[in-house]
Amino acid sequence: MATEVVLPMLGITIERGTIVEWLKNEGDLVEKGEIIFIVETEKVTTEVESPAAGILAKIIVLAGIEVPVLTLAAVIIEPGEELPAEYTTQAIEVPPDKAAVTAPGEQMPASETSPQTSAAPTGSIKAVPAARKLAHDKGIDLKTVSGTGPGGIIVIHDVEAALKPGIEPAAKVSTLARKLAEKDEISLEGIEGTGIRGRVMQEDVKRAIDEKASYGLGKVIQMSSMRKVIARRMSESAVNAPHIYFFTDVWMEPMLDFRQDILSDFEKKYGLRPSVNDFLIKAVALNIIDFPILNAVIKEDEIHILPEVNICLAVALPEGLIVPSIANADKVGLVEIIQQRGDIVQRAKSGKLSMDELERGTFTISSLTQYDITHFTAILNPPQSGILTVGKTRDELAMVDGEVEVKKMCTFGLSVDHRIIDGAVAADFLQNLKWKLERPSFTFLKV
Amino acid sequence: MYDLAIIGGGPGGYVAAIRGAQHGLKVLLVEKESLGGTCLNRGCVPTKSFIHDVSILEAIKRSQVLKKEGTISVDTTKMLDRKRRVVQTAVAGVEKILKSHGIEIAQGRGEFLAQKQLKIIGHNGASRDVDAKNVILATGSQPVIPPFIDVNGNIIQTTDHALDCEEIPKKLVIIGGGVIGLEMATIYRILGSEVTVLEMLSDIIANEDSEIRRAMRITMEQKGITFTLDTTVKEVLISEGKARIKYAKGEAQEKQIEADRVLVATGRKPVLDGIDYNGLGLSMNGPFIKVNAHCETNLSCVYAIGDVAGGMMLAHKASAEGDTAVANIVGERKSFNAGLVPRCIWGFTEVGSVGMSEEEARAAGCEVKIGRFPYMNSAAAQTMEDINGLVKIVGDSKSGEILGVHIIGTNATDLIGEAVTAMTMECAVEDLAEAIKPHPTLSETVMEAAMDWSGRAIHSLKKKE
Repeated sequence: MATEVVLPMLGITIERGTIVEWLKNEGDLVEKGEIIFIVETEKVTTEVESPAAGILAKIIVLAGIEVPVLTLAAVIIEPGEELPAEYTTQAIEVPPDKAAVTAPGEQMPASETSPQTSAAPTGSIKAVPAARKLAHDKGIDLKTVSGTGPGGIIVIHDVEAALKPGIEPAAKVSTLARKLAEKDEISLEGIEGTGIRGRVMQEDVKRAIDEKASYGLGKVIQMSSMRKVIARRMSESAVNAPHIYFFTDVWMEPMLDFRQDILSDFEKKYGLRPSVNDFLIKAVALNIIDFPILNAVIKEDEIHILPEVNICLAVALPEGLIVPSIANADKVGLVEIIQQRGDIVQRAKSGKLSMDELERGTFTISSLTQYDITHFTAILNPPQSGILTVGKTRDELAMVDGEVEVKKMCTFGLSVDHRIIDGAVAADFLQNLKWKLERPSFTFLKV
Repeated sequence: MYDLAIIGGGPGGYVAAIRGAQHGLKVLLVEKESLGGTCLNRGCVPTKSFIHDVSILEAIKRSQVLKKEGTISVDTTKMLDRKRRVVQTAVAGVEKILKSHGIEIAQGRGEFLAQKQLKIIGHNGASRDVDAKNVILATGSQPVIPPFIDVNGNIIQTTDHALDCEEIPKKLVIIGGGVIGLEMATIYRILGSEVTVLEMLSDIIANEDSEIRRAMRITMEQKGITFTLDTTVKEVLISEGKARIKYAKGEAQEKQIEADRVLVATGRKPVLDGIDYNGLGLSMNGPFIKVNAHCETNLSCVYAIGDVAGGMMLAHKASAEGDTAVANIVGERKSFNAGLVPRCIWGFTEVGSVGMSEEEARAAGCEVKIGRFPYMNSAAAQTMEDINGLVKIVGDSKSGEILGVHIIGTNATDLIGEAVTAMTMECAVEDLAEAIKPHPTLSETVMEAAMDWSGRAIHSLKKKE
């Protein structure tokens, strides 16, 4: 039976991708799990494995063409099988305006200012063929291009970046504009310059900062592709998954004290400082082991309880929310949770997450502890079935043995997909989590 | 139907006309007198011609090496002739350029009747109506004269008269210590007049940086010019061929001063002849036509530029506004930035400045850092015998933004151009320090002041911690 290979979903905000290199040719034998092509998007560059063993019978999306995710990219057939007729005529080729990139007949003369590029650079420089071709055609020396693909391989995007003098801040950005951008930590890329010859001036940066900062009255704002994806997915989730919400107050002192108790020893031994969040991630993962249904997704008429517990953290970026996940949070130790969390949050902010990190999540934690928000509801991050919300920890008066005491309390919220999780289960899950958090010594005891 | 009609052929109007023609517009330029406006005919250019002539005399007098034998003086008849030739050449040049662009020049008085409608009354009295899709009002300004002063063009003059007068008065009183007053004071002083300047405010050239004002005042005083500040002129009388000026200084008793001539340089007012702003519903800003940064008035397709629109009354400001107005007419959205208009003074020494003074920058709440470089430390300035000059840079200590540059000394009016370019390009002060300058030239002084600002001056003594 023929197996279709599609351009994979590369994270919730990514709608299009470019296959930058095919590692297999038509007719090659491929193993299941063998890497067959490299795909590049705005945010990630990743290797794609073959979904089946067989023969790569037909490549439909050639290298260098941007196509929507889930586009049919290739067909794998079993040995002895004929390529089904419906695939034989399909091919997505380079559009004519980009023909120069791959048309081998036409070559632009090498630029006089860079004579060393006239001989096609080969040897030790790693570049995908399409990037190599583009560099050669445009007279760019690959030695001057830094690769951002896997293992530092030069991909088309890198050559394109090298072609654009506009990216050079010194040439096209005024000193004051650059300083302002640095001060306000705003990227100069994508800012339209209104100065002479498109020079980016202070006003342009100010405008970009304004646009970033506020949705001024009477403004019409074009949705970014990320915002469009968030919008679509959130409505889908809200419409398709009937949400029910639960809240409970958690007494935080035991957790805070527990953390305080181990903090200095932990830091001495591992050189890391666990945050309250790290304990929370672990506790939630352990709680999911008690209630596996919270780790499930719906696939048509089946409920698939996922084998791994990967806890997503909602990270707010200027462009929108992104939810990378910590893998196997139930199994790995606190040290690894801290390391994973630090790493993915940082890479989320610099846009360097892998597809896997964005897609593997099974349950989400959304925390607003930095805000003066007691509690809030959240929309499920599809296809997940549960999302936990955490409000601000506050002082509250409580009766303890007939005495009034101040207790640190925090309201936790849980949203679940009522199609597969009933109220009682959700309530049990949340109550059990509360119990775990209020008894940290026992919760984190590894017998 | 014209695409663009402009009333006034001064440095605002004629620049707008050329710019419009370059954009392919059918342009009509209306001028009631001579092309070039006040600048070319009665302002910048004639005074600079005089300043050049008297500066030669001054340089000879000051020279330590020339042998002085007999007396040397300026032939004012020749001085005026030369000025006329300079003006004629410049005016004829403008006309040639306008014609080369196919711009129609209408000699006569322009009347702005309504949006898109003008009347031109020729010198022979014949009038014609003109339709234009866009109108630029560039009618300029004229001297403003206090009502109690009867300017007779002889003993009591404005610059309009003075620039065409060969006689040099023995005793001259100038009312007004602004740019015009100082320039005229310099010319007459070098030509031998005894000059007193009466100024209503507490200092001369009031919108300049205080350090520059002080340096200018001292320079002028050393040359024998008397400044009487905080002074209100009460009365100007003529008797027996002389003028008697009564003035009050604060609460003190009124004084009087006698002069062979009085020059009234108390500022300028917009020319609104032919513009019935009330009838037209044209919004005003005080006596001036109100415009926004795009030089648009409140009436659509009606623009105002130059002196009639207020702001700094400078030729290059009018030209820049003319460029802005046309850009907006042809659909480019362009703004005029008044903060980037340089100011120049030609007196016994020159002043060139742009942007905010130190006091203004502090008042605006900026975190100010100052860089200075005295001409004294410049080898080039030493060779030119000017050791009193100063370059002062006012910068924002955090961002490095150049908030203002103030230069007093030889060639200051040329040197300021570099600062304007840097500010227009949004350079930081450090950029001015970075560019290599030829040695030995005065251009190094700006670089050195920027280095001083950056804490790495070369030709200055190390600052005490």
